[in-house]
Amino acid sequence: MSDVFSVELENIVKRFGNVVAVDHVNLKIRENEFFSLLGPSGCGKTTTLRIIAGLEEPDEGVVRIYGEDVTDVPTHKRNIGMVFQHLALFPHMNVFENIAFGLKMRKVQKEEIKKRVKEILEIVKLEGLEYRRVNQLSGGQQQRVALARALVIEPEVLLLDEPLGALDLKIRQHMMVELKNIQRKVKTTFIYVTHDQTEAMTMSDRIAIMKDGKIQQVGTPLEIYYRPSNTFVASFIGEAVNLIEGEVVENGLVDTSLGTIHCAGSLTKGRVAVMVRPEMVEIGDKLYNVDNLFRGTVQSIIFKGSYIEYRVDVEGNTFVIHKHGSAELGRLHHLGDIVEIGWKKNSSIIIPI
Amino acid sequence: MGFSDTLLKHIRRNVTVKVSLLLIPPLLFLAIWFYAPFFIVGLYSFDMINIQREIVFKPSLIHYLRVLSWTGAMKIFLRSLYFAGVTVILCLLIGYPVAYYISFKMKKYKDLFIILFIIPFWVSFLLRTYAMMSILDERSFLNVLLTSLKLIDSPIRIMYTDTAVILVMVYDYLVMMVLPLYANLEKLDKTLLEAAYTLGASPVKTFLKITLPLSMPGIMAGFLLVFIPAVGEFVIPELVGGPNNYMVGNLIYEFFMGARHWWIGSALSMLFIVFILSLVITYVRKMGERGLAF
Ligand SMILES: Nc1ncnc2c1ncn2[C@@H]1O[C@H](COP(=O)(O)OP(=O)(O)OP(=O)(O)O)[C@@H](O)[C@H]1O
Ligand SMILES: [Mg+2]
Repeated sequence: MSDVFSVELENIVKRFGNVVAVDHVNLKIRENEFFSLLGPSGCGKTTTLRIIAGLEEPDEGVVRIYGEDVTDVPTHKRNIGMVFQHLALFPHMNVFENIAFGLKMRKVQKEEIKKRVKEILEIVKLEGLEYRRVNQLSGGQQQRVALARALVIEPEVLLLDEPLGALDLKIRQHMMVELKNIQRKVKTTFIYVTHDQTEAMTMSDRIAIMKDGKIQQVGTPLEIYYRPSNTFVASFIGEAVNLIEGEVVENGLVDTSLGTIHCAGSLTKGRVAVMVRPEMVEIGDKLYNVDNLFRGTVQSIIFKGSYIEYRVDVEGNTFVIHKHGSAELGRLHHLGDIVEIGWKKNSSIIIPI
Repeated sequence: MGFSDTLLKHIRRNVTVKVSLLLIPPLLFLAIWFYAPFFIVGLYSFDMINIQREIVFKPSLIHYLRVLSWTGAMKIFLRSLYFAGVTVILCLLIGYPVAYYISFKMKKYKDLFIILFIIPFWVSFLLRTYAMMSILDERSFLNVLLTSLKLIDSPIRIMYTDTAVILVMVYDYLVMMVLPLYANLEKLDKTLLEAAYTLGASPVKTFLKITLPLSMPGIMAGFLLVFIPAVGEFVIPELVGGPNNYMVGNLIYEFFMGARHWWIGSALSMLFIVFILSLVITYVRKMGERGLAF
C-alpha cells in the first residue's frame, strides 16, 4: 500500500449559519486508493467532497493534494475531476464535445484530443456514441460520459458524488463492478461519496463513516463491519446487529442484564455494548460448542432468499439471527418454539459507548 | 397499476379536449379584431378595394411597386432597422449584466430586485416617455444641474435627435430584454458551471463556453420582444425625434391618417409584416434545429 497521500484534510470545519456541516474532519487518503465517504443523508459528505474540489471554502483547516496546500487555490487550478450527482453534462454539446471540454481548456492539440477521447470511450465502453446528443443517452450511458469527461483530463484525484444514485438496481450493481475495474485500470485516487453501504463495501479499499459532520471511523470494509469503533457504526453498517449493553468486569467478560457474556478480548473498560452480527449467532434445539448460550422464544421468521431471518426473544431482548443454507429448511423452527441461541466468544465484540 | 394508468390516460385525454374548447373564445376574438382587419389591409394593398370602398377582383401589384421603387420609403425602412438594431443591442448590453447579476450573484432579495425593475413599467408608456422628455430637454433639470456645476458649458441638446429616439426606446423596452433573460438564467443549472470549473475552465471561459451559449434562447426571446415593437415604433420618434428621425411606423401612420392613402399604407404594412414574419420564422427554425426553442 502506498505511503503517499493524494488528499489530506486537516481539521476541516464548514458552517452554514448554525449548521456545522463538516466538524473538524481529518482524513489522509492514499494514492490510488478507492476511498468512500459513507454516512446518512445530511451528514456532510457532499460538503466535504466540495471542499476537496474547491467548490466550497472551509471556515477552518487545510486541504492538501499531493502534499501541496491548495486551500486557497480555485477549483479550475486544482487538478481534480468530479462526477456530480446529477451528472451536469453540458446539454448543448454532444458526447465528444463534453468529454473533450477539459482537454480543450488545457489547450491540448486537436489530434491528441481525438486520441484521448477515443481511448477513454473504450475504457468506459461508449465507443461509437461520440456524436450523440447527451439527452439521447440512457441513464447508464450518461453516467459513463460523466465519468469519461472527468477521467480524460487525468486528474490527480477523482471525486464522485453518489454517481449511481439515479440508476436502477441492476445497472447500479453492474456499474459498481465496472467502476472498480475502471479505477484499477486508470490508477487514480477515487473519493466516492454515498449513503449506500453496499456501494461503499463493494468498491472501497477504505471507508470513512460520517455522522453529523464528524468522522466516526476509517477502515477497510472488513474492519468496519467486524470491528466498528462505536455503536453508531455497528448499527449503520450491515443489515442488522445485536447490541447488548453492559459493564466490563474482566478482560473479555461483560456483565449484562442477561448475565455474563464472553467476548473477544478488549482493553475497553466501564460501560460498553456487546455486538454480535446476526450471521454469527447459532440457533437450534440443542447447541454445543458455543461460549454464550441463551434460551428464548421464536417471535418471527422471515424467508429472505439466501437466508432466513429469525427474531428470538430472550428475557425481553430481541435477537436477530440470520441462518444460511437450504439444509435448515428441513427443520425450520416455528413461531413460539423455545429454542437455544448462542455464539462463540470471538464473535462478540466489545464496543465503547 | 395498469388500471389507474388507463384511468389517468382517459382523464388526461378528456381534459385536453375540454382545454382545447377554452381556446375558442380567444381565437374568435383574434379572428374578429386581428385577422379580419389584416385581411382588409391585404385587399387594399393589392388594389382590390376602390375609392368607393367596394371590393373589386382585379388584384394588382402597383402599390407594392410604388413603395419598393420609392427610395425615401426604403431609407426610412433602413433607418427603422438601424434604430431598432441599436436599441436591441443596447438593451442586451445593459440587460444581460443586470439579469446575470440578479440571477447569479444575489442570494436574497432576487424577487425584490426584479420587481423594482418592473415597477417603472407599470406606469403608462406615454407617461414614461414624457418623463424622459423632461430629462432630455435643453432646459431640463439635468442640463441646469450640469451647467450650474460647470461640468458643461452650454446645455446639451438631445431632444429631437437620433440619440433621443434610441435612448427613450432603450429605456422603454429594457424590461422586455431583462425578463426573458432572467427567466432563462434562473433555469440554468448552476452545477454546470461548477462542472466546468472542475474541468479546468476559468470563470471567464465558463461564461463564454457554458453560460452564454445556454442563454441563447433568452437572448433571442429578448431580441424578438424588443426588436419587433422597436422596429414598428412610431410614438417615440413622433414625441422625441425630429422630422429626420421618422420610422416606418410614422410613415404608415402618415399614409393612413395624414394622406389618407390607405393603398400605399397597406402595401407598406404588408411588406413590413412579411419582413418581421420571416425574421421570426428564421429564428424559430434555427432554435428548433438546435433543440433550444423556448
Ligand atoms: N449551501 C448550503 N447552505 C446551507 N446549508 C447547507 C448547504 N449545503 C449543505 N448544507 C447543510 O449542511 C449539512 C450537510 O450537507 P451535505 O450536502 O454535505 O450532506 P450529505 O451528507 O451530502 O447528504 P445527502 O446524502 O443527503 O446528499 C446539511 O445539514 C445541509 O442542510
Ligand atoms: Mg450529498
